[in-house]
Amino acid sequence: MSGTSSGSSLSRRRALQLLTGAGLSGVAAPSSAASSAAPSSAAGGADDTVAMLFDTTRCIGCKACMAECNRVNGIEPDTGADGLWQMPIQLNSRTPNIIQLLASEAPEKRAFVKRQCTHCVDPACVAGCPFGALQKSDQGIVIWKGDQCIGCRFCEVACPFEIPKFEWDQLNPRIVKCEFCKPRLAEGLEPGCTTVCPVDAIVFGTRRDLLNEAHGRLAADPAKYHEPRVYGEVEGGGTQVLYLSHVPFADLGLPDLPAESNASYATRYQHLLYKAMIVPTLLYGALSTVIRRRWHKHEAAQAEQQAQDAAAGRGGLREQL
Amino acid sequence: MSSSSHVWQRAVPVLGVRVWTHSFRLLIGLAALGTVLAAYRLVSPLGPLAGMSDAYAWGVWKTFNVMTLTALGSGGLAVGLAAWVANRHALHSVMRIALVTSFLFYASGLMARVIDVGRPWNFYNILLPWRWNTHSSLFEVSLAMPVYCFVFLLFENVPLILERWHYIGSPETRAFIRRLDPYIKRLYPYMIAGAYLLPMGHQSSLGALMMLAGTKLHPLWQTQWLPLLYLMQAVICGFAFVTFITMASCLMWRRPLDTAVLEELANWTSWTSLAWLGLRAVDLLARGVLADTVTAGAYSLVFWTETLLVAVPAVLFRIPRYRTTPRWIFRLVSLTIAGGMVYRFVPTTIAFSPVAEARYFPAIPELLMTVGFIAVALAAYTVCVKRFAVIPAPLSMWRAMVVHDRRTYPHISRDDDGNPIDD
Repeated sequence: MSGTSSGSSLSRRRALQLLTGAGLSGVAAPSSAASSAAPSSAAGGADDTVAMLFDTTRCIGCKACMAECNRVNGIEPDTGADGLWQMPIQLNSRTPNIIQLLASEAPEKRAFVKRQCTHCVDPACVAGCPFGALQKSDQGIVIWKGDQCIGCRFCEVACPFEIPKFEWDQLNPRIVKCEFCKPRLAEGLEPGCTTVCPVDAIVFGTRRDLLNEAHGRLAADPAKYHEPRVYGEVEGGGTQVLYLSHVPFADLGLPDLPAESNASYATRYQHLLYKAMIVPTLLYGALSTVIRRRWHKHEAAQAEQQAQDAAAGRGGLREQL
Repeated sequence: MSSSSHVWQRAVPVLGVRVWTHSFRLLIGLAALGTVLAAYRLVSPLGPLAGMSDAYAWGVWKTFNVMTLTALGSGGLAVGLAAWVANRHALHSVMRIALVTSFLFYASGLMARVIDVGRPWNFYNILLPWRWNTHSSLFEVSLAMPVYCFVFLLFENVPLILERWHYIGSPETRAFIRRLDPYIKRLYPYMIAGAYLLPMGHQSSLGALMMLAGTKLHPLWQTQWLPLLYLMQAVICGFAFVTFITMASCLMWRRPLDTAVLEELANWTSWTSLAWLGLRAVDLLARGVLADTVTAGAYSLVFWTETLLVAVPAVLFRIPRYRTTPRWIFRLVSLTIAGGMVYRFVPTTIAFSPVAEARYFPAIPELLMTVGFIAVALAAYTVCVKRFAVIPAPLSMWRAMVVHDRRTYPHISRDDDGNPIDD
C-alpha cells in the first residue's frame, strides 16, 4: 500500500475524511436522474466527488486490480479463454475492470490501460435511462438499480466509452459495470483496485486533488507523457476517472470527445420544449381548438344531410368517421 | 391500373372474398412462427436468439420494427393533420386505411419492443411517476408509444368497428351502439388532437435517441435537428405509405381509383419531402459537413441513396403528369417509402460506429421474429378490410354491399342505404 512511487503527493487521508465525514454535505453532484438538470459543462462542480487517476507510465500490467475487483464485488472471474486463467480480452458482464495491453514493436509505444466506468460528471447513460435505473449517487458514483431497469440497453448505445455490459446469457440480465466499490467507501475503505495496485498506477482521491496531482506529474516530467493533457478533465463534460498517458489517448481506446457531454448536447433544446409541459400544452390547445372548429362544421353538415334524407323519407347514409 | 377517374365516396368492406386465401395462410404461418419464438424468448435469455452484442446493443427489433416501421405507421398522424387541421376534406376518404395501418404497425412494433428489452417485467415502473426520468427520450418513447397505440389509435378505430356491427348485429347490439355513439362523438375532437400531439412527441424522440450516442453517429446524420428530421420523415412516410397501401389494396381487391385523392396525397408527399430535403441541406451546410456527402465513402453512398430516393419523387410529383397517373404515383411513392425507411434505419445501424471493433447481423430466430411481427400486422390488415369498411369505394359498391348484406343476413330488414329497420 505505501507508495512505491515517490511522486505520490496525494493526500488519501484527506480524501477519505471527506468521504466519511461531514464533508459529504458539500458534494455537488446531482442526487437523482430525474432531478439532474445540472449544467454539464460545469465539470468544476464535481471537484469534491470521488475520483481515480490512472497513469500508463506506472502500470506494469500485473492485473492485481482485476482479480481484486472480481473478489470484492463477488463476481466470478471470466475464465472463458481456457477455463483456468482470468483472461478476458475486453470488458464484459463478468469483468467490470480490465487491464489491456496496447501492443507495439517499439517498447516505448507499448502501454497498459485500465478500462472501467469513468463515472462521467454528466453521464449519457444516466441521461438516457428511462426509469432512472442508472443514477449519479451523492459521491458522483454512477450506480445501477436493478428493479428500475427494463433492460433496454440504451446505456450501452449512449456510453461514449462503451462501459455498461449486459448479461446476454441471463434470463434476468443485469447491467454490469464498475460502481466504484461504493459499499467499501461507506466502510471507510478505498476501492479494491486502488488498494492493491503495487505501483500506484491507479490512485484514489477527490477529483480536485487528483487533477492537481495529475498536473503536478505533467509539470514535473513533461517528457514522460505524450501530451500535457489529463484525459477526463474536460472530455465528454469531464470524468471522475482521469488518465495520464505516454501514448496517444486514442490508441488506448479513449475516444476523442468534445468538451460538451452527450447528455448536454442531446437535451439542449429538449429541456426548453418540454419544460413544465408548456409547449406541449399550448400545442394541444391549438390543435384541439382548430379541430373542434372543423368538427362542429362537420357535425352541422351531417345534421343537415340527415334532415334532408328524413324529409325525402329515407334513412340516409350514416356518416363514416 | 386504369387511369379512369372515379370518386371514393364511402369506405366499403371487401365482401365475397374468402379470408383464408393461400397468401393469408402464409402470413399466419410466419406470424405463428414469430409469435411462438417470441413466447420462447420470454423464458430464454436474449443471447442465444439474437445477434446483438454489447457494442451493437440494439438489433433489428429496435432499428427496423420500431424505428423504421412506425414511420410507415404514421399515416394516422400525417393524413389526420392534413384532413382535420389543414382541412383537406378529400383525404377523409383514406383516413380509415391510415388509422388501421397505423394501429397495426405500432402494435407490431410494440411486440418487438417487449421481447427486445431484457427485463420486460420491470415495465411496471411506468406506473410509478417518481421513477420516471423525464429527461430521457427513451422514457417518452416507452410511455407515449403504447399509450398512443392502445388508447388514441384504438379509439380512432372504434367507429369503423361499431359501424359494421350496427349494420349486421342484433337489435340489442344496435341499441347499445346507438347509446354509445354520442359519447364517442363528444370525445372525438379532443382525442384526435391528442392523437396528433403524442406522435409528434415520440416520433421526434426516436430521433433524439441517437443524439445521445454523440460521436458514435456519423456527422452526416448526427445533428441537433435529428428529432425534427425524424418526425418529418414519419409524416412523409405516413403520406407515402397510405398512398401505397391504398393503391395496392384497390389493385388487389379490384376497386377503382380516385385520381383526385391520389394527386392530393402525391402533393402532400412531395411538399413534405421538399421541406425535409431543404432542412437537411441547410443543416449539412450550417454544420460544415457538406464535403462528407462526397468524401465519406460508403457513408456518402448511403446518404445519396436515401436522399435521391426521397428527392426524385418529390421533384417529379411537381410535374402534373406524374402526380395524375396512378402508375407513376405508385412507382414514385414506393421510392419515397424506400428512402424514408433507409433514413430512419441508418442512424441506428450503418451510420452507428461503436468504439469497439464489432459486427452485427441479426440471428435467424431474431429475423424470424422480425418477419413474424410484420406478418401479424399484414394478416390482421387483410382481415380488417374484409370484415370492416376500410377501403374507399364509389357509392355503387356500397349499394352492392347492401345487396350482399340482405342475402347474408336475411333476418335483418334494411333500407336501400343499408340501415337496419328496427321493429
